[in-house]
Amino acid sequence: MNATATTGDVILEGVDLKKHFGSGGLLSSPTVVRAVDGVSLDIRRGETFAIVGESGCGKSTLGRLLLRLIEPTAGDVLYEGRSILTLSKSELRKLRRELQIIFQDPYASLNPRMNVGDIIAEPIWLHNLASGSAKRDRVADLMRTVGLLPTHADRYPHEFSGGQRQRIGIARALAGDPKLIVGDEPVSALDVSIQAQIINLLEDLKDRFGLTLVIVAHDLAVIRHMSDRVAVMYLGEIMELSETDALFDNPLHPYTQALLAAIPIPSPSNRQPKVLLQGDVPSPAAPPSGCRFHTRCPHARPVCKEQHPALEAAPDGRRVACHFWREIQGAGAGSISAPPPSAALAKRLALYQTWRERQDKPVATSP
Amino acid sequence: MGREAVRQTSAEIHQIGNDAVTSEPPLLNVQGLSVRFDGAPKGVNVVDDVSFSVRKGKTLCIVGESGCGKSVTSLALMGLLPTPPARIVAGSATFDGRDLLTLTERERADLRGDRMAMIFQEPMTSLNPAFTIGDQIAEGIVRHRKVSKAEAMERALDMVKKVRIPAPEKRLRAYPHEMSGGMRQRVMIAMALANDPELLIADEPTTALDVTIQAQILTLIQRLQEETGTAMILITHDLGVVAEVADEVAVMYAGHVVESGPVEAIFEDPQHPYTIGLMGSVPSLGRRQGRLATIRGTVPPAELMPKGCRFTPRCPFSDARCANELPPLGEIRPGHLARCWYAPLEQKRGAVA
Repeated sequence: MNATATTGDVILEGVDLKKHFGSGGLLSSPTVVRAVDGVSLDIRRGETFAIVGESGCGKSTLGRLLLRLIEPTAGDVLYEGRSILTLSKSELRKLRRELQIIFQDPYASLNPRMNVGDIIAEPIWLHNLASGSAKRDRVADLMRTVGLLPTHADRYPHEFSGGQRQRIGIARALAGDPKLIVGDEPVSALDVSIQAQIINLLEDLKDRFGLTLVIVAHDLAVIRHMSDRVAVMYLGEIMELSETDALFDNPLHPYTQALLAAIPIPSPSNRQPKVLLQGDVPSPAAPPSGCRFHTRCPHARPVCKEQHPALEAAPDGRRVACHFWREIQGAGAGSISAPPPSAALAKRLALYQTWRERQDKPVATSP
Repeated sequence: MGREAVRQTSAEIHQIGNDAVTSEPPLLNVQGLSVRFDGAPKGVNVVDDVSFSVRKGKTLCIVGESGCGKSVTSLALMGLLPTPPARIVAGSATFDGRDLLTLTERERADLRGDRMAMIFQEPMTSLNPAFTIGDQIAEGIVRHRKVSKAEAMERALDMVKKVRIPAPEKRLRAYPHEMSGGMRQRVMIAMALANDPELLIADEPTTALDVTIQAQILTLIQRLQEETGTAMILITHDLGVVAEVADEVAVMYAGHVVESGPVEAIFEDPQHPYTIGLMGSVPSLGRRQGRLATIRGTVPPAELMPKGCRFTPRCPFSDARCANELPPLGEIRPGHLARCWYAPLEQKRGAVA
């Protein structure tokens, strides 16, 4: 399980990252939560890389480790081939410009006592990128870029809706001309219609500014739509890492298979009984021995309890941490059969899109 | 079971939208329900002229985004709306021949937790942290049944087994904080079903849960529903969940039901522009098919709410008529209703000018 050979196109790399949170018990013995436990991955320039898993799997911790927002217990993070753990304060500040983060709850991450213009201008000021009217122009520019009205720069966060607040968060992340943005559940607090707007915005911005995106999320449909590669995490470890389409078409790890099987399919005429994963996720303070998934795995055998499976190479550059993935592969569980939309729905969606485009540029197309 | 239901109804009579004519009256029939918050601008009700019905043993899903009035509707039915500021200004809700909205507080309390029960999104905030699971389930039984504490505990144990909580005897003596989110939601379900209600209202019961746990809970609810014949109103924003469990669907937007009908009709032949936009906004689970369709903007604040169709400012098909005249919830096909002047769209809006 060595880190992939660093080629020119790897922008950010995690090497055997560990983060253990310990609660030093005064009277009881301390419990150590292994939030991230030996994760190696490489993120390629220009891709959208997704980290997916259920609550408590360590995906958000991993996202923060990759930006050095928290210090790892062990392991290393390389940005452009250089360790970011040994950087001095001023070098780290420079790095913060290039590596940015968007949070799940935009309201909690925006200072309620600053107006939106100042919130977006803060990184510009901090990094001495512009001042005076140049700074104001830049803020107005950023607000337009993310779909906000520059005239709203003097308003405060509470005056905006959830989707607009997320746009503010994105504008602030963009202010320092970043190379890579980590989105920590960037759309999961938003309503479906707003979620679609933000997903499209992130994709547009990625194209326009040549960004690399790391999306931490639990919604598999969003991940399939947005990402190029996916890492599936469970109890602090990567279970499977693969190109997105390959993962969804042919999940190798039994956990990935179970995750995909659990997604509700939005097609009422194709209801099927589900093969359900039993039980809850064990506590990361006391992860099971051997393979961490063995307590819930339908394919578990005695060896799974004893031996920890390595993240081994599978065809097509995939990696999977399971002793028996070759045998399980054909077991039929897994790939989701999302039926195409009905003819009537497809027709109406197309009609909707046509009118929707006219709605966006009414002057250009109206007769 | 959903498909059967629909086949049956469409074969039945061409009148399931108008329940007065069906062979069996619906268990719950809500007509023209309007709820107003004090201080809201004139004419802008948070829930406005909402009608739907639920038949015995069936599931109605109310789907919509935040602020559409789906939770207010359910709280109004349960008699849990705080008055003031909320006031029910019109409508009726006939449950087994009685209008829920005119009951006295005492009568409502007798119904709640007995013939009608409710489960909420966040089980931790609905459970009392100071009492054991067993005590909390038994409390509802003792309130509505003439049984001793011991008999109630017996029944509580049955319920805990029924919702498939492992080590039930031990769990009965556990406190809520000792359980995971999924287990707590099972406790809520056990509590709600303890008195064999005829109607269960579930407000986003799986939204706070992980996807594998969500699948467990949905399957559990469905299985219990089949065993007990309880009817359910499930409130959710997740179209995938709707497709999995609903027999009938009501789509709400800004306080109005904009479309309703059998689940197949809603998913395979959606009529209202909002429903269509919503479906286009959800990423597909299949291979990527270009950009997502989006719905422009956000729900307008109450003081800017249009007089007519409330979706007008965001709707690609809308015109001046939409802004000024509220379209009726018209029948597209038997049982399939849409509140839009231009449905079906390909006929009335097909030619792109």
